[in-house]
Amino acid sequence: MALSTLLISLLVTSVIIYFVSKASWRVGAILNFLIGIFLISYVFALHTGTTSDLGTLFGQKLQLTWTNASFYFSAVSLMVIVSVMLFAIKWLDSQKYPAAFNMFLLMMTAGSLGVFMAADLVTLYIFWEIAVLSSMLIVPMGKKESRKAAVIYAVMSASGTYMYLYGAFLAFQRYGTLNISEIAKQMVSDPSTGIKAAIFLLLASAGIAKSGIFPLHTWLRIAHGNAPDAFSAVLSGQLVKLGSYVLMVTVAVIPSLRVFANIPFYSGIPATNYFLIALGATSIIVGTLMAIKQDDMKMLIAFSSVANGGYILIGIGTMDPMGFEGGVLHVFNHALAAAVIFMAFASVVYRTHTKKISELGGLIHKMPITFLAYLFAIISLAGIPPMSGFISKWMIYQALVRKGMFITAFIAFFGSIGSFLYVFRPLAGVFLGQLPKKYKDVKEVSPVMWIPMMILVVISLIIGIWPFPVLQPIESMRADFGIAPMVKISDPDHWLIRGFAGNWNPVLVFNLFLIGFIIAYILYTMFPRSKKVDLLAPHKEEGTPINIYTGGEYIYTPELYHYNTKFYAGFERMYEKHPSWEKVLGMLAKFFHDLGEWVHGWFFRPSPSAYAFWVSLTILIVFWVRW
Amino acid sequence: MKERTIWEQIADSFRSRSIWMLHYCTGCGAMELPPTMTSRFDMERFGVAPMATPRQADILLITGYLNTKTLRRVIYTYEQMADPKYVIGFGSCTINGGIYFDSYSTINRLDYYVPVDVYIAGCMPRPEAILEAFNYLMEKIRKGEADGWKRYRENYEWYKQNQIRSLGEVYVHDEFHE
Amino acid sequence: MAAYKALFNLVVAFFLVLSLEGIARKIMARIQRRIGPPWYQNFIDLFKALSKHPFSNGWIFDFGVLMALGGALATAMIIPMGSITWTPFPNSDNFFVIMYLFAVGALGMAMGMVGSGNPWASIGVSRALTQMLGYELPYLIVMSSVIFFYKTASIHKLIELQRGGWNLLVMPLGGIVAFISLMGMLGKKPFDIMIAPAEIASGPMVELSGKYMGLLHIMHVFSVFVEISLFVDVFLGGGSFGWYLVKFVVVWVLAVMISSVLPRFRIEQMLKFYWGVPLGLAFLNALFVLLGWTL
Repeated sequence: MALSTLLISLLVTSVIIYFVSKASWRVGAILNFLIGIFLISYVFALHTGTTSDLGTLFGQKLQLTWTNASFYFSAVSLMVIVSVMLFAIKWLDSQKYPAAFNMFLLMMTAGSLGVFMAADLVTLYIFWEIAVLSSMLIVPMGKKESRKAAVIYAVMSASGTYMYLYGAFLAFQRYGTLNISEIAKQMVSDPSTGIKAAIFLLLASAGIAKSGIFPLHTWLRIAHGNAPDAFSAVLSGQLVKLGSYVLMVTVAVIPSLRVFANIPFYSGIPATNYFLIALGATSIIVGTLMAIKQDDMKMLIAFSSVANGGYILIGIGTMDPMGFEGGVLHVFNHALAAAVIFMAFASVVYRTHTKKISELGGLIHKMPITFLAYLFAIISLAGIPPMSGFISKWMIYQALVRKGMFITAFIAFFGSIGSFLYVFRPLAGVFLGQLPKKYKDVKEVSPVMWIPMMILVVISLIIGIWPFPVLQPIESMRADFGIAPMVKISDPDHWLIRGFAGNWNPVLVFNLFLIGFIIAYILYTMFPRSKKVDLLAPHKEEGTPINIYTGGEYIYTPELYHYNTKFYAGFERMYEKHPSWEKVLGMLAKFFHDLGEWVHGWFFRPSPSAYAFWVSLTILIVFWVRW
Repeated sequence: MKERTIWEQIADSFRSRSIWMLHYCTGCGAMELPPTMTSRFDMERFGVAPMATPRQADILLITGYLNTKTLRRVIYTYEQMADPKYVIGFGSCTINGGIYFDSYSTINRLDYYVPVDVYIAGCMPRPEAILEAFNYLMEKIRKGEADGWKRYRENYEWYKQNQIRSLGEVYVHDEFHE
Repeated sequence: MAAYKALFNLVVAFFLVLSLEGIARKIMARIQRRIGPPWYQNFIDLFKALSKHPFSNGWIFDFGVLMALGGALATAMIIPMGSITWTPFPNSDNFFVIMYLFAVGALGMAMGMVGSGNPWASIGVSRALTQMLGYELPYLIVMSSVIFFYKTASIHKLIELQRGGWNLLVMPLGGIVAFISLMGMLGKKPFDIMIAPAEIASGPMVELSGKYMGLLHIMHVFSVFVEISLFVDVFLGGGSFGWYLVKFVVVWVLAVMISSVLPRFRIEQMLKFYWGVPLGLAFLNALFVLLGWTL
C-alpha cells in the first residue's frame, strides 16, 4: 500500500469508526486497537526511500517519503498510541463521548504519521493541522474548564503554525521549492544570513509551540491537565514529539552548522542554535520549578513535559553526535515514561475521581500494579540507570561537557535533580503513605488497563539494559543528516556505549545492580523474620488506631497522618513570588480583548442612527477611493 | 528458664554492649538525663545512645510519674518496640507512687502494666545511679535474665487485664483523636 | 578477576567505613571532652540491630530497603580505589554512571521509608531531596570542569592523569567546593537536616526496626565509601592502595572534625548557602578551566 493511500484510508476509516462506535463504542475501540497493531507491523515492514505523491500545489509536487527519521518517530508514536488504544477499551466507559474519541484518536494518528512522512513543508503543514485539530477536539471532552483549555491550545498552536507557514512561503519565494531537502541544499549556498535565520526561526517556532518550549509553553499545563485522562498520555507522550520532530527537521535536516557557519557563537555552535538551546534551558528551569509546586498531579507531569522538551531541544541543538543522539533518544524515553505516567494517573482518576495529590494517598494498598508502573516510569523519567531514561541524559551531559557549555550543563543538572523532586511527589502523596478512609473500597483497574502500561515499562527496561536496537536507527539517522558519521557511539559487539569521555556497559551495570540486590536479599533472609504491621487496620475495624510511630498519640483518621500538601515547602517558599509568563500572556490577551471591546463598542451602538452613519461612511469611502 | 542457643548467647552479648534508649519523659526525672548523656558522665562510653522513636529503641526509660493519661501512651509505645526490649523504671514514683501515691490518677506500680527489668530507686536518682542501672541491665542481658519482653508475651492476658482494670480502656476515644 | 576485585571493594568498604564511623564517634567524644565508645562500637550496634525481631510496614517497605542496599552495593563495586590495579571495571567507571547508579539506592531508600506510612519519613525525604538539589549542583559543575579539563569522565583515567599534580592543587577552588558538597552528601553536621532527630524523629529512619535499621546502616556504609572515594580519586590523585587508605582516612577525619563543632542549618539556609558561595566558586573554577588558568 502506498503511503498516501494509507493516510487517506486511515482518515476515511476514522469516520467509519465513528459510526461503528455510535452503535457500540467498545467495538470501535477494539477496531481502533487492531488498526494500530496493523500500523505497527506496516511501519516495521516499510523500506526507507519509499515515496508517494499526494498532489500538486503551485506547480510543486506534494510528496510523502519514508526515511530513517520517519521510521523512528512513527514507531515511537505508534507504541504510545496503540497502548492508549488498548487502555481506552476499558477506560472509555467513564467518558461521555466515546465515539468521537475513537474517531479523533485515529484521525490524529493519521495526521501525525503524515507529519513524519512529509517530504515538503506544505504536506507537513497539512497533516500537522489534521493532527492538531483532531487532538484539539478531544481536549474539551474532559471537564468544563477543558473548553477554555482547548481554546488556549488552539491559539498557541496556531501562533506557532502560522509562523511556520510564513517561513515555508518565505523559503518558497526565495528558493522556488517546498521540498525540505532541496531547501536545505540551497540554504547552504545562500549568502544572506538574515533571511536564512528568519526561515530557520520561523520554521522552528511551530516546534517550539508544539513541544512546549519556553515562550509558548503555557498551553501544556492547561491542555494536559484538563484533557481526558488517557488522552493526556497521547498529548504528552506523542503529540508533543511532533514539535520535537519539526525542531529536529529545522536544526538537523537543514544542516544548521554549515548554514550558519558564519555566525558562530560558542564552541562551534551557531547563534541560531544557541538561541534555541537558551529557550530549551529556560523551559527546563520553568518546567522544573513549576512542576515542584503543583498540587494537580497531571499538571505536575505537564510541566515536566515542558522541562523534558527542553532536554530534547538542548540535545538536538548542540548538533554534537552525542548530543543529537541523546536528544533523539530522549524522545523515545520521555514518550514511554510520560505515557505510562499519564495512564497510571488515568487509572487513579478512573477509580478515585480526583487528580489532586492532596486528596489522595496510600493507593499502593489498593492498586499495586498501577503503582509499579508509575514507579518504573519515574525511574526512567528521572534518568536513573536500569531504565532507558538514563542513557539519553548521559549522552546529553557528555555533549554539554564536551562543548564546555557549563551554564547549560548547570541547568540540565538542575532539571535532572529537580526531576527527582517532582516525580517523588505523586509517589509519596498518591501511592504511598496513608489511605484515606473514603477510598477503602477502591480496587485495582482491570488488566486491559494495566497491561499496556506494563508493556511500555518492560520495553523501557529492556532498552535500558540493551539499548542498541534503538540506538542503531538513531545512528543511521545521524548518518543521513551527516552529523559526524564517522563517530560510532553504540558498540553492540563489546556491549558498550562509547562517549567522548569514557564508556560504559549497560548490561554490566544492570548485572551489578542485580548482584547487589541478590546480596541484599540474602542478608535480608538471614536475619529474624519481621512481624507485619497492618497499615489498613483502622479501615478494617472502626476504633483501631494506626500502628506507626505517632509520639504516643492515638490516631484513628489515617488521612490526617499523611504528608502530601506543600511537599517541598522549604524550597517552594524561596520562589513564591516568581514572575509569571502566564500572567504576561494573560495581560496580552486582556489587551486584545479590550481593544476588541472598544472597536466593537464603536460599531455596535444601540441606536439605528449610528448604523446608518457607519454604513454611509463605508459606502462613501469605497466610492471615493474607488477600489 | 529455658537454655539459650549459642546464637542467642552471641546476640545477647551484642545487645548488652549496644543499648539504644527511648526516654519517656513523663516527669521531673527527665532533668537527670542531660548530664548523664553529656561530657560529665558520658553514657555513650557504655554504648548507650538516645534514639528518636520506639521502633529503633531497645530500652524504654520511664522517668517519673505515670498517671491514667500517660500510662496509655507508655503501653502504646512499649508495644511498638521491637523484641527484645527492656524497661527501666526510674525513680520511686514508678515503684510505689512516690510522694503523690494517693492521688486519684496516679499509677502506683508500673510492673502491673508493663514488665520492668530494672528499677532505680530514689527521688531523684543521680546520674551515677542511672549509669549503675545501665550496667546492671547490661549484666542481666548478658546472662539472659532480662526477659521482661518474654514475660509480657507469655502473660499478655494478665497484663491486659490489669491495664483495663485501671484505665477502663487502653485506647482513648474523644474528639481530639477521632 | 574483576569479580574478585569488586568483592574486595565491598569487603574494604564494609570494614573501613564501619571502623571509621566508630573512630568518628571517638573523635567527636574527645572534642566534647568525653571518653566516648570504643572504635568497634558500630560493629556491635550493627549486629545488635540485625539480631532483633523487627516490624515490617508492608511489601514496599521491604522492597525499598533491598533496592537501597542493592543500589549502594552495585555502586561500591564500580568504584576504583586509587589506581588502575584496584579498578574492578575499567570500562564502566564513568563518573555520570556512578552518580546516577548511586541515585538508585537513594530512591529505594526514599520509597521504602515513605512506604512505611509515616509522615515524618516523608518530611525527611523531602528535606533530603531538597538538600540534594543544594549540594549536587556545585559538585556537578566542578566535576564537569574536571571532565572538560582532562577530556575524560572515566575515574581511573582521571587518577592516571593526575600524575603531574593532584587535582586539588591544579584547581584548588574546585577541590574546596567539592569538599563542601561532600559534607552535604555525607549528611554531616551543618547539613544533617534530613535526619534531625530532635525535630522530625530521625526523618526517613522513623519506622526502622531491627534488621531494616541494620541493612540501611550497611547501605549508609557503602554510600560513605562511594562518596569519599570519588573525592579522593578525583581530587587527591592516585598511588598505592595504602596511600589511598591514608587519604580516605584524612578526608573522613577532616569532615568529622568540622562537623563536630557546627550546629545544624535550616533547609532554606542550606539552599542559600550552597547556591551562594560554593556555586559561585564552582562557576569561577569552570571559567578558569575554560580560560586555561589552572595551576
